[in-house]
Amino acid sequence: MKKILQSLLLPCALVLLMGADNQEARFQNLGGKIMCTCSCSQMLLKCNHVGCPNSDQMIRELRANVTKTKNDEAVLNWFRTKWGVTAVVEPSTHGFELLAWILPAAGLGLGLLLVVLLIRNWRMRPATVAAGDMNLAPDLEALRARARRETEL
Amino acid sequence: MPLLGSFCLLFALALAGYCFVVGVVAAVRKDAVGYRLAETARRAGMASFAAVLVAAGALVYAALTDDFSVAYILHHSNRALPAPYKFAVLWSGQEGSILFWALLLSAYGFVLRLRHKVDQRLVAMASMVLAGIQIFFLILVNFVANPFGMMDRLAADGNGLNPLLQYPEMVIHPPMLYLGYVGVSVPFAFALAALIMRYPGEKWIHITRRWTMVAWLFLTFGISLGAHWAYAVLGWGGYWGWDPVENASLLPWLSTTAFLHSVMMQEKRGMMKVWNVWLIFITFMLSILGTLLTRSGIVSSVHSFAQSSIGDWFTAFLAIIFVVCLVFYIKNRDHLRSENKLESLVSRESSFMFNNLLLLGACFAVLCGTLFPILSELVRDVKMNLGAPFYNKVMVPIGLFLIFLTGVGPLLAWRNTSVGSIKRNFAIPGTAALLIEIAVGILLFKNGVRFWTDMGQMYAMMAFCLSTLVIATVTSEFIRGGIVWKNKLQTNLFAGIYQLSRRNMRRYGGYVVHFGVVLVVIGLAGAAFNQDKEQEIGKGDKVQIGSYTVVGEEYTDDDNANYSSQAALLEVYKDGKFLTRLNPEERFFKASGGQPVHIVANHSTLREDLYVVYEGRNPDTDHPIIKIIINPLVNWIWIGVLVIVFGTGMALVPNASPVSVPVRSTVTVSQMEEQGMQPAGAGK
Repeated sequence: MKKILQSLLLPCALVLLMGADNQEARFQNLGGKIMCTCSCSQMLLKCNHVGCPNSDQMIRELRANVTKTKNDEAVLNWFRTKWGVTAVVEPSTHGFELLAWILPAAGLGLGLLLVVLLIRNWRMRPATVAAGDMNLAPDLEALRARARRETEL
Repeated sequence: MPLLGSFCLLFALALAGYCFVVGVVAAVRKDAVGYRLAETARRAGMASFAAVLVAAGALVYAALTDDFSVAYILHHSNRALPAPYKFAVLWSGQEGSILFWALLLSAYGFVLRLRHKVDQRLVAMASMVLAGIQIFFLILVNFVANPFGMMDRLAADGNGLNPLLQYPEMVIHPPMLYLGYVGVSVPFAFALAALIMRYPGEKWIHITRRWTMVAWLFLTFGISLGAHWAYAVLGWGGYWGWDPVENASLLPWLSTTAFLHSVMMQEKRGMMKVWNVWLIFITFMLSILGTLLTRSGIVSSVHSFAQSSIGDWFTAFLAIIFVVCLVFYIKNRDHLRSENKLESLVSRESSFMFNNLLLLGACFAVLCGTLFPILSELVRDVKMNLGAPFYNKVMVPIGLFLIFLTGVGPLLAWRNTSVGSIKRNFAIPGTAALLIEIAVGILLFKNGVRFWTDMGQMYAMMAFCLSTLVIATVTSEFIRGGIVWKNKLQTNLFAGIYQLSRRNMRRYGGYVVHFGVVLVVIGLAGAAFNQDKEQEIGKGDKVQIGSYTVVGEEYTDDDNANYSSQAALLEVYKDGKFLTRLNPEERFFKASGGQPVHIVANHSTLREDLYVVYEGRNPDTDHPIIKIIINPLVNWIWIGVLVIVFGTGMALVPNASPVSVPVRSTVTVSQMEEQGMQPAGAGK
């Protein structure tokens, strides 16, 4: 069980660590979290339409901030301050917006807890024996075991 | 006609009211008089369908004959509107769409009441619950959002239909989605009826299984048509934007999917009764929430075509439903005790439980994201919309776990699965998944894609791997069972698989649905490898993107009664060879004050779509501005949806009768009588 867990956790950790500290990747990543404010409802790096009054300037600012600041959250905060909180479509990881991240995780956690409690409840309950299961002839039991083995039902 | 429509709506309300009140009285009396009253209530419920149908017909007639004395027709139609779109006017505005809800609900009710012999007592109670829902919608169309409101003065022409809706799929997408939303009412009505009556056994589940699957099918088809419409019309190159109204349609879909899985535990093992009852209650409430979000405008969305205070009515209705469900649950919860217990964590039951947990977790995450703007406005006075980055971060890992369970679940046995069986069943699918993953990785690397530097592409790789696992699992299930039937009937493998499927259509139809789902997932994963470019293209100008070269050939203007348009004619070359001509267009609809709509030109193959959008003209140079996007694997999504539809259709078909075994010795009638036996079929 321990080995299975380790083999599952290792790729997850590798995936989470990949792509870190690459400036172009950071630029692309952050550009996908900021909305263009020209009311086109597009992400900043997707809003490349000719004549857009805001996207060119915002993209320049993003590039400058990515070079200047190491912290992604600080870059997003800079945009929140300058262009308004609605410019960033990914909620921040502090203050009220943290709630957006916590709620789904809390929901899943609560669900998991419920499932665990349910299983515990089932395990503690005495087994109910169906009438058909009692006093089975040995040959019938053997046939049933064979059917189960062959069909996995 | 408008007068007839108004009258029919009032008449339908009276009939639904009668069906509900008399249904309650009949349920309380439980004697011969009660039985006769229940019959009159049933007939009144069926007649309400005819009344709503006439009302809806009157509104469509008014649209087709350009009767602009009706305010709804004036606001949503115009003379130049093509006839199919005039028909679609019925669900294009708020009043009409609520009438459409009422129509579909009464149609479902009609079928349910017509088939009352399946279980007269249970159907009578379910009919009463449905009548209660009908009353709500009929009150809305009669007194809050009446589609037959008249104008003071007769206008020469109407304001026209929203140009975004003037697309063939828009004639089908809303009805499909509404059929799904409304279809959920039937299992809800049966579940509540069974709970109120403390109805023994799982009969309500057997009766509603097909209803639920049909509702799920319509929801699936409706959602995918909407995605295809967004892809073809909105011109941003995507098909799913996590828009609040898109999310609203996804919510009941997720909970219905959870219900369709967990209900099997109740059928086979008598477990999870409380869970199932609440799942269907929640699903119905989510379908009402979906209608509330679409129609009230409480969250900003490109879909909220109509905005009004009708939301208060829906909120009150949701509260009433919740209270009614809660009261009857508390009163009769002892009736919902599980008959069996979970014997092992490594079993089909536990995989269903985790599948349900993830589906409901996904549902909850989408709900939180959708309602977050309302919460943020309440707390901070700023409506903060959460965009795709939030949803992708939360939903993609959940989705990957779900695909993993889709692959693993069918390989686990009911009650308990041995380690040996796991090893045996997983060896081939697991190896296939790894080999395909390595092959895809090498292929991408050779094409210059460094997927390990991009989180989205890493997720896509995981999706490919898990999808292969599911495909291998499904295939092995068909082949293993097919071989058994092949040997039994002395036939070939394909005939064996056919016989196998015909004898358990639900199970093997379900596997086909799983196969369709992974095709959709592969298509969605392709989005991680998108490329796009926007550029001015004059005559003879070239744009290079990926292996394509797009050359400007011509650009034109056009004009007709409904719209004027601008278009470009482009030649496309792939690896230097001529491939096709594309004609992206932008239309300006006259009745809507020149509102522009993109008509996307798309060269679509299994490998990728070359998606070209006409973005307008540069006023300085008068050259068209063209946006070109390469969308890999998008076609897999639409093919996957068709496979899902086919699989669901399969699961809806009844099983073939068991294979007859030839009788080895004959027995005469006199011998049978001597031994007290009866001929086969006697006494049925």
